[in-house]
Amino acid sequence: MSDFWQLVTNENMKIYRRPRTWIMLGVLLAITAAVPISIFAFEEGGLSMWMPFQVNTSMSVVLVTVFAVVLSAESVAGEFSSGTIKLLLIRPWSRSKLLLSKYIALLLFALLFMVGMLAWNLGLNALLFGYDGSNEMGSLSALNYFLQTYLFEFITLVVIVTISFLISTVFRSGGLAIGLSIFLLLIGSAISGMLSLLDYAWVKYLLFVNLDLTTYIGGGSSMIEGTSLGFSLAVLAAYYVVFVVITWIVFSKRDVAA
Amino acid sequence: MAEPIQAPPAQHAGREDEPVVQMRGVTKRIGKRKLIDNLTLDVPAGEVFGFLGPNGAGKTTTIRMMVGLMRLSEGEIIIRGQSISTAYEQAIRHVGAIVENPEMYKYLTGYQNLLHFARMIPGISRQRIEEVVELVGLKARIHDKVKTYSLGMRQRLGVAQAIMHKPSLLILDEPTNGLDPAGIRELRDYLRLLARNEGITVFVSSHLLSEMELMCDRVAIIQNGRLVDVRPIARGTDAHAAAVTVLLDVDRADEARQLLAEAGAIIEGGLLRLEADRETVANINARLVGAGFKVYGIRTQAKSLEDQFLEMTGGERIV
Repeated sequence: MSDFWQLVTNENMKIYRRPRTWIMLGVLLAITAAVPISIFAFEEGGLSMWMPFQVNTSMSVVLVTVFAVVLSAESVAGEFSSGTIKLLLIRPWSRSKLLLSKYIALLLFALLFMVGMLAWNLGLNALLFGYDGSNEMGSLSALNYFLQTYLFEFITLVVIVTISFLISTVFRSGGLAIGLSIFLLLIGSAISGMLSLLDYAWVKYLLFVNLDLTTYIGGGSSMIEGTSLGFSLAVLAAYYVVFVVITWIVFSKRDVAA
Repeated sequence: MAEPIQAPPAQHAGREDEPVVQMRGVTKRIGKRKLIDNLTLDVPAGEVFGFLGPNGAGKTTTIRMMVGLMRLSEGEIIIRGQSISTAYEQAIRHVGAIVENPEMYKYLTGYQNLLHFARMIPGISRQRIEEVVELVGLKARIHDKVKTYSLGMRQRLGVAQAIMHKPSLLILDEPTNGLDPAGIRELRDYLRLLARNEGITVFVSSHLLSEMELMCDRVAIIQNGRLVDVRPIARGTDAHAAAVTVLLDVDRADEARQLLAEAGAIIEGGLLRLEADRETVANINARLVGAGFKVYGIRTQAKSLEDQFLEMTGGERIV
């Protein structure tokens, strides 16, 4: 097992030894700091920290997802385009374990950035506006509500990143992987809104109508009839398994001729 | 999940006379095209083994199958007694390779690149990395980013990652591509050194015939995916006995040709050209000098591998 973690260490090195990862972090911190600071500068006081926190949360979630998608798209496709895939594969490791080490490193990146942004947004807003323990979002305390938001958004992120990883592996094209996954992320909710008007039973089994889990927080429901949190999680899980199986089979069988 | 690499089974364990690589009926089909057709070949231990053929003959495809980057359609490749298809992790353990260009992570330093590949194989200490860096002469630049390296330096880094784990087989695909003459010479000397001192078997592909003659103990020639011939390279022995082509650089070439007409001399590119054995060359020289000609140079033109190759493959042009 310790040997396997050496592979993950390698993938981590390839993520964190590149300036772009630190630029992403800088962009995240700068944008999420700008919002509460400018509100703080112009507001007369009496504002709850959860208002700017909510703005920060939606920005952080989108940006962390986009950055994780970018890294995921480059993870496999980048090794092909640089030719390093050849030196990577000719080691005493099976291809499926090499791919797993890449995937784990990506999820660790996403987890680290998601948890990091949660802590940063909480700390920054509490510092500027004072911690507000009384505010409630529906039936839940604000803190509870937002913790669930981050958790559900992370689950969505994992699905999107896995799609990006799949496209990156199957088509060996980072650009295609980034484009399609971001498209799915941004357009998914619009499409699901339109599809919810259709009265077909199969609509609720589509991937993108189940991607937004935050609608279920505090006992909420989605626009599609016949869905629930458990249902959406089951649909996402089924898609997830299919994506992972395709990715691993394609990567393990492929002739590397590039 | 990472079970330790098992020692090879006893019946295979390090028999000195056993070929390092055994290819048996290796075939690669893509669609209906046969890229490699029934290739059977043994690579003896401790040799520099050349794999020669024109572009598109299937050299790189064969090498990709040897290191597991491509699957075999039929047949078997056995490295140190382990099949590359069924016991990949055990077989590849003994192999170091550069497939085509030595592509490294450009955004990492040379040292980080070596560390990366060292982590993938158990038992490579930091000390061993330093040792290899010293060996390939990259010590001064090893902590610079690879994107600042010249091609020659990348080639050295490629060699470093390939020999770091002390493989018994080193596979190099077109290693002289893009190197300047000094770099080629350096690489050649280095490969011979590895084969002689470390007992590493080197499998090297090339389309540069002259290079192969200087570098290899044995050459396999491949054309259109088929093995044409395997032959040992004789070193400087033929020159003594058989007649060779001799080129003479003399003043007044035309008069000299008349003098040597009975020896079959002709003029080619301002030089006298004739077939002669070793003793005759000395006699001709004496006659020319005795007749007052100035002899500026005598050059023998050994029948090169290239000529032999062209004969064998029916004159197909190679590079």
